[in-house]
Amino acid sequence: MTDVLVQARGLGKAYPKVHRTSDRMRALGRLLFTGKDGDRVAVLRDVKLDIRRGESLALIGENGAGKSTLLKLITGVLTPSTGTVEVKGEIGALLELGAGFHPEYSGRDNIAMSAALHGLSGEELQRRMPEIIAFADIGHYIDEPVKHYSSGMVVRLGFAVVAALKPDLLVTDEVLAVGDESFQKKCVQWMKEYLAAGGTLILVSHSMYHVQKLCRHACWLRDGAIEMYGDVFDVTQAYLAYHERKCAPVESASDRAAKGTLEFSILEVSLNGSLSDQPVSIEIGDTLVVRASVQSREGREPCLAIGIVRADGTPVYGVGTDMDGYTPQQMGANQFACEIEFNSVALLPGSYTVRVHPMDSEGVRVFDTVERGVIVRGASREFGMVRLAHQWNPIVTGAPLT
Amino acid sequence: MAIAVLVRRFVVRELTDRFAGSVSGAMWALLQPLLQLAITAFVFVHVFKARVPGDSTIGYVPFLALALWPWVAFSEAVLRSTTKIVDNAALIGKVALPREVLILASVGASFAVHTVGFIAVVLVLAVTRQGIHLEGLVPSLLLFVPLAGLALGIALICASIQVFVRDLVLALGQLLPLMMFAAPVYYDREQLPEQYRRFLDFNPFTFYAESFRALLLDHGTIGVRSSIVAVLLSVVALVAGRWIFRRLDSHFEDFL
Repeated sequence: MTDVLVQARGLGKAYPKVHRTSDRMRALGRLLFTGKDGDRVAVLRDVKLDIRRGESLALIGENGAGKSTLLKLITGVLTPSTGTVEVKGEIGALLELGAGFHPEYSGRDNIAMSAALHGLSGEELQRRMPEIIAFADIGHYIDEPVKHYSSGMVVRLGFAVVAALKPDLLVTDEVLAVGDESFQKKCVQWMKEYLAAGGTLILVSHSMYHVQKLCRHACWLRDGAIEMYGDVFDVTQAYLAYHERKCAPVESASDRAAKGTLEFSILEVSLNGSLSDQPVSIEIGDTLVVRASVQSREGREPCLAIGIVRADGTPVYGVGTDMDGYTPQQMGANQFACEIEFNSVALLPGSYTVRVHPMDSEGVRVFDTVERGVIVRGASREFGMVRLAHQWNPIVTGAPLT
Repeated sequence: MAIAVLVRRFVVRELTDRFAGSVSGAMWALLQPLLQLAITAFVFVHVFKARVPGDSTIGYVPFLALALWPWVAFSEAVLRSTTKIVDNAALIGKVALPREVLILASVGASFAVHTVGFIAVVLVLAVTRQGIHLEGLVPSLLLFVPLAGLALGIALICASIQVFVRDLVLALGQLLPLMMFAAPVYYDREQLPEQYRRFLDFNPFTFYAESFRALLLDHGTIGVRSSIVAVLLSVVALVAGRWIFRRLDSHFEDFL
């Protein structure tokens, strides 16, 4: 049983509503005499979290979801309004840009102060100073006041200090984003080594690439509460799918009303036999069977187009019955049905939509649209939407390049 | 000790802040009080023709200087510390640190600067034969301990309240001079009308003003009872200051 470094139970944070000076007076009085606070706005609610030694956890979520607040509660910068958070071991924290540096002082002075804040003694600092300066790698700027630094240099300095401290728990808040390519690589490399050596990491990042590269678990915060917690791939996919849905154009409801009068309309669509509105989930390489039945007002035979789009509306693939010369099966006087099977779906993990459109017999006019969600699960760091069939070929040394 | 390292760093930072950009740096720490002493001497002795009533053996300059320097240390410590939490909002929002350290360092820096100034002034007064009893210097430095304790206690209270009510530092700027004039700094107890003298004892600084003079000028005496009261008062201020600071500490971030 590995030991738990961070244990949060029912953790919440609320900020007082302070609009006028008189509110501050009242808050002060209440705090002094009753120890309680008045009206509050909750930014984090009922968070339960266990972080074990050696774990790497990513916190993801939209702006204002409470990620930074949670980090500040863990590092002890903020005091919880509700619940508890217990932390064992030494924390190295890089919260936002600046990390508490004083702009008027030189990089060297700020390193010294930062080290003292992390509990490093004078001699230890002397010993590690060259290492820190080498890691920061900002040249002669080390003796310039921090106010003359670029934001990237500030982060370099901050990261260098934390890296030298080798804390039990490393907490970083979106610090990689401002570093340049080579420094990002250096940081990622350092974090990987740190994790390999048994370090524990909590990372806040909007870069799913970094998150998937560095973390085993992810926690998705939404409106101050944990929306999802689990394997990094599952959580990041759900999170990205959520964003894709958010950006997708909203389907207008008036389409539905006019449906009865359409010449062709969809009666039902099933995915892998499921008729429910809930998205169907499959693994990469699974089979997807789409079955649709169509109502034809005049009893004419329809064509059907079936397409797959990503949740944000980007088309992936579409095909029609007329293209392949398939004839829908007549089921009744005015009803037709057809079924299409995609075997070994090569879609990369994410959220997709299957669209079914009935068309007239000539395959020219589109009459209706029905959408069903498909979620492709699985762990993959590949890019894009589909997995193209590929193989890596061995290189025969000595053979000429032809 | 991690805290000790931290306090030292903040004291050094506070001191460099004060003398930053000056050519001679720390020299100002010595030069400032001596220049101030010279100006005070000129104005009060040659312009106002001030003298200590009922005691022609001591000059007005040492009489004033011995009470004024400890006062400056005390009032500056309180005033500067009051805004320390608000001034360091950026640091407090990003780094977990025991916030008392900021107050402790600020009070420490004020007392360090002015104790050095005090010693310099006493030595100059002794060299210029102003009736200083140099053997009283070391015991008089001990007086700075409860005085700093009192300042720290008050500073902890003021700094934590300042976070919530930003008017406090403005009010303090008015109240501290009032406290000074309500203590025998510029005048002697004997100069007050009889019926007002006992009110002096309600001012915590009265004890210090009179004790420094008793030790270094042999003017007046230090009462055992008032010494005990002064030490107790410092302890009470420290305990109360710590209690209030601790109580409000966890809510600073919400109001900064």
